[in-house]
Amino acid sequence: MTFRKLLAAAAAVLVLLGTAHSQTVTVSLNADIRSVNPGVNRDDNTDTVVLHIVEGLVALREDGSVGPLLAERIDVSKDGLTYTFPLRKGVKFHNGATLTAQDVIWSWQRYMDPKTDWRCVAEFDGRNGLKVEAVTAPNAQTVVMRLNKPTALFLDALARTDCAMAGVVHKDSLNPDGSFRTPIGTGPFKLQEWKRGEYVHLARFADYASPPGKTIDGYTGSKRPLVEAVRFMVVPDAAATAAALATGALDIAQMSDKEFPELLRMPGVTVKPVGTATKNVILFQTRDPLMGREKIRQAVAHAINMKELVPALTNGLAKPNASAIHMGSPYYSQVQRQGYRYDPALARRLLQEAGYRGEPVKLVTNKRAGRPSFDIAVIAQQMLQAVGMNVQVEVLEWATQLDRYNKGNYQFMVFSYSARLDPALSYEQFAGVKDKQPRKVWEDPQALALIERASAVSDTKERGRIFDELHQRFLQQVPMVMLYNNADVDATSARIRDYVPWVASKPRLWEVKVSK
Amino acid sequence: MFLYLTRRLAMTVPTLLLVAVVVFVLMRLVPGDPAQLILGDAADAAQLDQLRRKLGLDQPIPTQFWRWLVQLLSGDFGTSITNNLPVLPLIWERFQVSGGIVIVAIAGACAVAVPAGLVAAWKQNRPLDVFIVTAATVMLSVPSFWLGLLLLLLFGLQLGWLPVVGYVSVSTDLGRGITYLILPIVTLLLIEIGVLTRMARASAVEVLRLEYVTHARAKGASESRVLARHVLPNAFAPTLTLVGIALGNQLGGIAVLETVFTLPGLGRLLVDSMFSRDYPVVQGVLLFTALIFVLVNLVVDLCYPLLDPRVAAQ
Repeated sequence: MTFRKLLAAAAAVLVLLGTAHSQTVTVSLNADIRSVNPGVNRDDNTDTVVLHIVEGLVALREDGSVGPLLAERIDVSKDGLTYTFPLRKGVKFHNGATLTAQDVIWSWQRYMDPKTDWRCVAEFDGRNGLKVEAVTAPNAQTVVMRLNKPTALFLDALARTDCAMAGVVHKDSLNPDGSFRTPIGTGPFKLQEWKRGEYVHLARFADYASPPGKTIDGYTGSKRPLVEAVRFMVVPDAAATAAALATGALDIAQMSDKEFPELLRMPGVTVKPVGTATKNVILFQTRDPLMGREKIRQAVAHAINMKELVPALTNGLAKPNASAIHMGSPYYSQVQRQGYRYDPALARRLLQEAGYRGEPVKLVTNKRAGRPSFDIAVIAQQMLQAVGMNVQVEVLEWATQLDRYNKGNYQFMVFSYSARLDPALSYEQFAGVKDKQPRKVWEDPQALALIERASAVSDTKERGRIFDELHQRFLQQVPMVMLYNNADVDATSARIRDYVPWVASKPRLWEVKVSK
Repeated sequence: MFLYLTRRLAMTVPTLLLVAVVVFVLMRLVPGDPAQLILGDAADAAQLDQLRRKLGLDQPIPTQFWRWLVQLLSGDFGTSITNNLPVLPLIWERFQVSGGIVIVAIAGACAVAVPAGLVAAWKQNRPLDVFIVTAATVMLSVPSFWLGLLLLLLFGLQLGWLPVVGYVSVSTDLGRGITYLILPIVTLLLIEIGVLTRMARASAVEVLRLEYVTHARAKGASESRVLARHVLPNAFAPTLTLVGIALGNQLGGIAVLETVFTLPGLGRLLVDSMFSRDYPVVQGVLLFTALIFVLVNLVVDLCYPLLDPRVAAQ
């Protein structure tokens, strides 16, 4: 009898364990996260994980615009200087404490303290023009921020994923000595365990208060945690990731477009390609004696056959895009669709007019795993040689190339810019004065003035007109050739339901279900 | 013996000091800025300067070296730039993974390779010898990552017998931990069998030609006695040297296998740290590996007298 009871108990435990295990969704990361301190020591993988744990006042929507998250709504004064954020009611931290305005202020002050080393403090302390002059709480449920000048980009800056959305954490996240202990946020999942080099395990936050909405919407919308746990596993090798998907050891993986054909052949694996805002470009050093000639840059633009290059590199998943604005943006107008005509004869004529005599030019690239840089360089070299350019491809290790990029020490190079959903932020990535920032590519004073204006103006039609004008100048002056936005391939195992990939290239595990 | 041991241990100090200088200088000569890699393409000059100051990278190179050396002499390998963890415990944790795999694989390879090499030498130019040499050549020619992926696809994907990704430490769960180690150990073992078999065969062939072996046979000793008592002790020494070198090499070279099998080992730590220019970790891992190399070769040298009494007399 006793033995039978033991056997039954053991079976029950095994069933429970099995159930618990099957309610854990396993997601791959191609490298370990850097830390769990929001916005301090991070990279894309770190943001992916941390943004399941913490939430900010505002966040990015699916279309790249900014919407309320912890805030119920956003009220902006007529002069554009005061932003009022009434907080949603009933929001709790992972330790059970209820979110109040004082928590938001404490968290903000911690971010703005230089000792915290928050990545984005310069965006708000006046060094880059914008300053948050005061943060106050007229009552326990309202936060008010006052700026030094009106700007269209304040909310975008607050919502930036690399800033962890200025995610609000509870005071208990710190040790008594003020050092960071663990992120106690308000997100749908809470941190349970981080085994360095192996995995990060998040558990469902049972008392999570989802923002209103029927569907997932970027980092806003409905964010219900419908699985018991999420495990982000470090799997650096793409082949191992594919094998793990096929066996069900992994439930969700972000792969590159190169793996698309193989993933399609895998039984039980659902493949969801999605366009992103990552930009693959060819940059020019406009102060170089050769690349400083506009006609040579224009020749390069007309010599590259985008309709051949882009589908070849992306298995047909991405489309050519000559604009700095990603194709899913509400600002992606008819004007933004304009690009360069593939015209080798025109390219040869432009080279002649520019006085190009066959001097060697070096195209810098790298062989980082999962990036198209090397392939772009090889194909571009062929196309440029066909019009008479003596192009040599120089392959560098990534850290070395980044160093050369930052110093402006190149003639032209293949490069990838991380995603910036707002067009003004996208232009800001590469536009600026080279004397101050040698890494900047486009220093046309009128372009810089237009970008400044687009950053200040909130009216969407006015911004649209500015971006269209910018694009036309961009096409004319060719400070860089924008090739295409990356296409990610999110693959899920057979038991995953309702997983939605999106343009920001970060898996979201809320609203995801597991089949029984 | 004690004097010999003391002298050899004392020699490790200048060796490691030289390694420290070379590693430090080489890392600083390689282009790339850790602060840039941490902050990414959007970082402005002010952010980069701030981070460099925080990491001590704004100091002159000799100052940086001196600080690191002083720390090192007190047993502190510094703190990782990438993740703020103390370097030595990180290295030790990763070494347990890599070291376990390498030691088991090479021990297993020896257990197979030495008898196989002996048998091949004994049956030189006969079909068995040809077979063993061919198999060994194939094994040492196959790239480790290719073999690893093949085994992963066969035993993990097709047959589903072994896990494909992940890692569980044997100290956490012995049974599950072993399942994660089988494939990487077998991969490394197969490659090392190839290398060691060829060496064992070559040195056994040399010894079999010597007069005392003929003398032993003439005295009426059986072939098994001849091989075990006369050939093996004298033929094993070069193979032992190779084992010592292989142990040291594989600790760093196992990075590829660790990537394929998603193991949190020392090799991957080194490669990841190189790419992120995490100077303290790279310097620490290379120094640690150098120390292991020196110690392993010391142990190998101390084992020689067991095989050849003439070495002990010298």
